[in-house]
Amino acid sequence: MRSVMQQPFRTAVLVLVWGWLLFLVLTPNLLVIGASVMTRDPGTFISLPLNLDAYRQLFNPLYLDVFLNSLYMATMTTLICLLIGYPFAWALSKVPRHRQMLLIFLLIVPFWTNSLVRTYALKLILATNGLLNNALMSVGLIDQPMQMLYTEGAVIIGLVYLLLPFMILPLYAVFDDLREDLLRASHDLGAGRLATFVHIIVPMTLPGVLAGIMLVLLPAMGLFFVPDILGGSRNLLVGNVIKNQFLDARNWPFGAAASIMLTLAMAFLMFAHRLSKRRIGEDGV
Amino acid sequence: MKKLALAGILAVGLTGCGSDDPQVLNLYNWSEYMPQEVLERFTEETGIQVVYTTYDSNEAMYARLKLLDESAAYDLAVPSTYYVSKMRQEDLLMPIDRSKIEGFDNLDPELVNLDIDPDNQYSVPYLWGTTGLAVDTSDVDGEVTAWADLWDERFEGRVMLTNDMREVFHVGLRVLGYSGNSTDPQEIEEAYEKLSELMPSVRTFNSDAPRMPYLEGEADVGMIWNGEAVMGKDTMPSLEYVYPEEGIIAWLDSFVIPKNAPNPEAAHQFINFVLQPEISALISEDIGYATPNLAGRDVLDDAVANDRSSYPSATDMINAEFQEDIGDDALQIYAKYWEMLKSGR
Amino acid sequence: MTRWLPRTYLTLVYLLLYVPILVLVVFSFNDSRSGYAWGGLSLRWYEALFNNRAMVQAMWNSLWLALSAATVSTVIGALTALALHRYRFRGKQVLNGMLFVVMMSPEIVLAISLLGLFLLVGLQLGYVSLLLAHVTFCLPFVVITVMARLSGFDERLPEAARDLGASDFTMTRTVLIPVIMPALLAGWLLGFTLSLDDVVVSTFVGGPSYEILPLRIYSMVRVGLKPEVNALGTLLLVFSLVMLMLSQWILLRSKR
Repeated sequence: MRSVMQQPFRTAVLVLVWGWLLFLVLTPNLLVIGASVMTRDPGTFISLPLNLDAYRQLFNPLYLDVFLNSLYMATMTTLICLLIGYPFAWALSKVPRHRQMLLIFLLIVPFWTNSLVRTYALKLILATNGLLNNALMSVGLIDQPMQMLYTEGAVIIGLVYLLLPFMILPLYAVFDDLREDLLRASHDLGAGRLATFVHIIVPMTLPGVLAGIMLVLLPAMGLFFVPDILGGSRNLLVGNVIKNQFLDARNWPFGAAASIMLTLAMAFLMFAHRLSKRRIGEDGV
Repeated sequence: MKKLALAGILAVGLTGCGSDDPQVLNLYNWSEYMPQEVLERFTEETGIQVVYTTYDSNEAMYARLKLLDESAAYDLAVPSTYYVSKMRQEDLLMPIDRSKIEGFDNLDPELVNLDIDPDNQYSVPYLWGTTGLAVDTSDVDGEVTAWADLWDERFEGRVMLTNDMREVFHVGLRVLGYSGNSTDPQEIEEAYEKLSELMPSVRTFNSDAPRMPYLEGEADVGMIWNGEAVMGKDTMPSLEYVYPEEGIIAWLDSFVIPKNAPNPEAAHQFINFVLQPEISALISEDIGYATPNLAGRDVLDDAVANDRSSYPSATDMINAEFQEDIGDDALQIYAKYWEMLKSGR
Repeated sequence: MTRWLPRTYLTLVYLLLYVPILVLVVFSFNDSRSGYAWGGLSLRWYEALFNNRAMVQAMWNSLWLALSAATVSTVIGALTALALHRYRFRGKQVLNGMLFVVMMSPEIVLAISLLGLFLLVGLQLGYVSLLLAHVTFCLPFVVITVMARLSGFDERLPEAARDLGASDFTMTRTVLIPVIMPALLAGWLLGFTLSLDDVVVSTFVGGPSYEILPLRIYSMVRVGLKPEVNALGTLLLVFSLVMLMLSQWILLRSKR
């Protein structure tokens, strides 16, 4: 009797969940793949002859430049996040427990504030007549305002500012799990600080590092509004190019192909992440 | 599909504080291209609420209209010359019922019945203007008289360009002595080469409010729309509008009603409202562009009517070139180089 | 030395994180239009904000969207988590995989794929398209939060409930829901914030019939310096702080 009663609920839940995901996740993704092998059409966006032109265009040296530049911006962002975040997470894990919670809360608060508004605040600071230039000039460090707004540097600062918490949180998680006994053992066996760091700490925090990279690198390539506001509307990120293809230039196949490349890059990173986790699992014990 | 229906029912049930006002006009226009006062007075007079959404390039406007074609999102848009003909030919527009537009005969005969829309079946001119040089005279020593001066080394990192593909290439083409409406791939490529030499000097692209980078001290020299220059001068008297030797870019922006507009009646009412001499004059005085409404020009404040920035003299228009429709093939070539240009470091 | 170095470092990074926010708050009370120079204390930008009819409408639209998106995604997300946790069914891995794809795929890819779908089925871009999109990108976060809670949960409780003759539905309602309540709240809150903050997806699937705050802010910010944005940012900050504290308080209470 029980099975009769439980069937409708179970069925309803499964149908709802499956329906939602098939309709709003699987279908749209298939559509993007489909669009990427179709032909650009000025009237209907895409039309039939199937071909790989969009992908060929992607590897055209001219567009490759855009991708490489975007990759450069994202990599710089990720590196800076890592450089700031790694010691930060380490230091955070050493703080007494009860205070850790408060500090993490403080880390999340900016993330809860509208990201556009925060990017805009950076503009106030970095502008030629902005606060940073004014401050530096009033203390006499510089006598000409520096040009900071509308540069690549400004975009990287913006991306770091928006994405830093995403680097710190996974790093904090691995530092929090760092096994003190291993560190002590390493010390007891006569390993110096550097050796311990290189042979124990780095490998053990590697999954966190990779998770952080995953959460920073790819979003850093897609956040088109940051170059729009801080980079003088240049196409510094793949995100700008994709957005332009869909909302300006109407070259959907190309935009779709570009976004598939982004997804593939993400998949690659996830694969690396899994691999590193498995290795730690084997070596760590 | 079932899920969609479910979500739909859910959504309908949940809405309520959405847009269920009886009379709404969805106006899709350039940023800062209509004084707030005009919208308020229109609402006061007719009871129709205006939802004002903005774009910063013809391309974005066109792509969005095409995207939302079926879903009937906008009642009125304001494309530039060359997009009027493009949209008309692609059957995206609704014919305008002239009997509902009283002030049409007041329009400058030179600005109606153009090739872009013979007999103005689909468009009514709103404003016309020019794109010329902006110079912040407090920061720039010496004369700036030509587009070519932008390539001068002393302006490195201080140049502002509009975020408008056609306009920027127009400048490149004119500097090389070609027509700004060129469709020749060779010439377009040369213009790209020329412009990419300028890129290291370019500080920013801006078509939302091209005056702002000058006012904010980020740029000293570059492109600007005449109306923006007039507005900018109010706050920064050192901002000068210069007619470059190679000739300015001239354009005409017109009201059009998208084919599937939900409220064409309100759209007609709005066009009619704007064409009143007093309102046309108010718009021109407030945002600095030239009104094609001759009756409006008559009641214009003298200071504005005599402002060479808003209303150029015949000598200012020497070498001036109107933007024309260049066809989708040429547009694709422009688009490719534009992407590359904006990706340059 | 080993003590003060990490502390100084932590303080420094926090300072960097909070300076822009501080600037925003301080300048929202600035009487001067310039945005860089201090011109005295004033509330004029708050006034300007509330006198802007379109802005206020966008604010309500955004709040309503965030509210409904968070609620719908919490309901569906919780059911998904329960299904994944309790039932054996074919394609479980696929389901898991799809959720993972949503969470991990770059926002802009999600945005264009949904835009393509909505155009294909002829859905008008507006409230419904925004709702469907927002629920979709909030969903995996709710599922994960609820799953985490479920995995630490004593399996004997539902067994006992069933043995006592409770149906699956009754058991879920009386045993499971109370247990996962804190997770539901956390997931709802996360969804609410994600929805309120989203620019990328909304740029693509939003329409003029339902204008929302992030898009409004975007067009304001692109025009140039607008002191109203400072005021708006401050309001949003206060709002999310209150929400966060409220949720912490509820979570702490429910733990006791």
